Amino acid sequence: MGKFAAWAGYLVVLLGLPQLFDSVLAITIFNQMAIAIVFALSYNMLLGQGGMLSFGHAVYFGLGGFMAVHALVMIEFETVYFSITLIPLVGGLIGLIAAVFVGSFSTHKAGTVFAMISLGIGELMAASSLIFVSFFGGEAGVSADRTFGPPFFGIEFFQDVEIYYLSAGWVFVATAFMYLFTQTPAGRMANAVRDNPERAEFIGYSARRVRFISFCTSGFFAGVAGGLFALNYEFITEENLNAVTSGRVLLMAYIGGLGYFIGPIIGAVVLTLMNSLLSNYTELWMLYLGMMFVLTVLFLPRGFAGFIMMHQTAWLRGKLSSLFLPYLITGMPAIIFGGSILAAIEMLHHEGEPFGFLFINLDSGNTLHWLALTAFAAASYYACRRSLGQLNAAWEEANRVGDPTEGGPG
Amino acid sequence: MSILSMHNVSKSFGKTEIIRGVNLDIQAGERHAIIGPNGAGKSTLFHLISGKYQLSSGRITFRDQEIQNRPPYEIARLGLARSFQVTNIFPRLSVFENVRCGMLWQQGLGYSFRHLLGRQTELNARAMHLLAEINLAERADFPAGELAYAQQRALELGVAIASGADLIMLDEPVAGMSLSEAEAAVSLIRKITEGKTLVMVEHDMNIVFDIADRISVLVYGEIIASDSPQAIRANPKVQEAYLGEVAMTGVGGNNA
Repeated sequence: MGKFAAWAGYLVVLLGLPQLFDSVLAITIFNQMAIAIVFALSYNMLLGQGGMLSFGHAVYFGLGGFMAVHALVMIEFETVYFSITLIPLVGGLIGLIAAVFVGSFSTHKAGTVFAMISLGIGELMAASSLIFVSFFGGEAGVSADRTFGPPFFGIEFFQDVEIYYLSAGWVFVATAFMYLFTQTPAGRMANAVRDNPERAEFIGYSARRVRFISFCTSGFFAGVAGGLFALNYEFITEENLNAVTSGRVLLMAYIGGLGYFIGPIIGAVVLTLMNSLLSNYTELWMLYLGMMFVLTVLFLPRGFAGFIMMHQTAWLRGKLSSLFLPYLITGMPAIIFGGSILAAIEMLHHEGEPFGFLFINLDSGNTLHWLALTAFAAASYYACRRSLGQLNAAWEEANRVGDPTEGGPG
Repeated sequence: MSILSMHNVSKSFGKTEIIRGVNLDIQAGERHAIIGPNGAGKSTLFHLISGKYQLSSGRITFRDQEIQNRPPYEIARLGLARSFQVTNIFPRLSVFENVRCGMLWQQGLGYSFRHLLGRQTELNARAMHLLAEINLAERADFPAGELAYAQQRALELGVAIASGADLIMLDEPVAGMSLSEAEAAVSLIRKITEGKTLVMVEHDMNIVFDIADRISVLVYGEIIASDSPQAIRANPKVQEAYLGEVAMTGVGGNNA
């Protein structure tokens, strides 16, 4: 029942977002989120569920995307005749075919060998995309027009919001199938092989075959994401299958939380928002993204989803509200400290010219500004450190085992 | 009738010959212990039978099928299960998932991605039943890696027997356990190998002489004797090569 509610809620949010925010910018961001969610979930099939660290997952996304754009062109010139609503399936099939080919030799081992092969294939594809110009279109990429296909119940997809609803449908279906995959023997054995490939072999499973199946499934869904990309942007370039895109999907899955199915969804949403909104305010958003990644690896090794799940015990005991004030007491100085650091970085970046930072104007030439920042940073750091004790105590209290209202530990 | 036979099985690592022409028949339904001093090659022999290592020469047959040099998963599918000396479970999966994974292949589910495990009512009931047998039912939802040592050893057994294999090979199942834990483990081993064939490597002589119907003594890669516990105890070659030193400590009581 709880699961049904979660899925229904997911669908409602997906379909309801454009009702709440209907600006052009919002729809653009939602479309990017839809693509990122499917892509990040497919990546988590490899790394989170299968223990395969890939540095070249954009290959399947990109190949699916390129083929999808070519399919759109074919629809335009009436070489083929089908609804563009099926374009993500074209991307998926190409992703699957590429993954079957690469997986046939790369899934022999997990770990470093797999990671290095994935890196090599990624570089190879990026190089090929500039060589085989007829398919990849060189540096300009290839483009198409999505509005030529047969109308889908009267919709011709002139507007981005129409594409969003189509994407939302695909996102929901793809998420559901990827979740169901985790519940099958193949999906569960992927976890087992991730944990201990040797033992898996002694209970009747070829670790290589198990990895191969996960790899191909993951390639398929990466291709679906590529197809969604093609539908949304109507063009695709080499950048969409190179290491930058591969790196970004790794960040999404990791920051969101590898160990949880919902983690990559959170990561995809957060990173897309940062990408779209933060980049309006600062040129340094890539730097901040990198800082966030390092901080996540150091302090939240299980990602945002892991951070949320940490509170499950307290929530079940009905003590979550008791953590609110302690979080506030430690959180406020922490935010001020972070803000001062960011302000200092921005001041170094804007050397010699005044600029607006949040609600104030800063000038790197003004010594007073530097002094004030330093004072803010030092004071907030001190306050944050001093308040950690009360947060720890509150945490212990909220999570204490052996509470009389509880049946037992665990 | 022998269920497992080794013919002139040899294994070398480089120039070092670890197993030198082992011939051994395991009878269906017997409880067979392999003993020998440290470094005699007991674990290596297990790895050769179960497919972890390749043979240098020789043949191994399981139910009249040659199994030497086949990959472990093929051998496991034939109905030969094993446990490991160092606990070898799936640490991040729950205790329940561990034993259920052990059952999947024999259940015919293979690499399927069309079956949902939640719907496999009978399989899930069998997994819970097995957990009850190894006294881990209360820990079903725990990550296996968080269990106490003795519980992990019990789970190690559970994963090995989950497939319902006819031949079960246990590599030092009670190593590192306290006396009371070892006693519990021994009665557990008796219970779960009822009606099956058991081959085990064990250092604790009390347990070996307690459980085994037949004992083989492996010294420097060769079987120097294979007989009933009484005959092994009386065998002068065995006493000289192996039991003599242990008699003072391990089997002192039994030997007197």
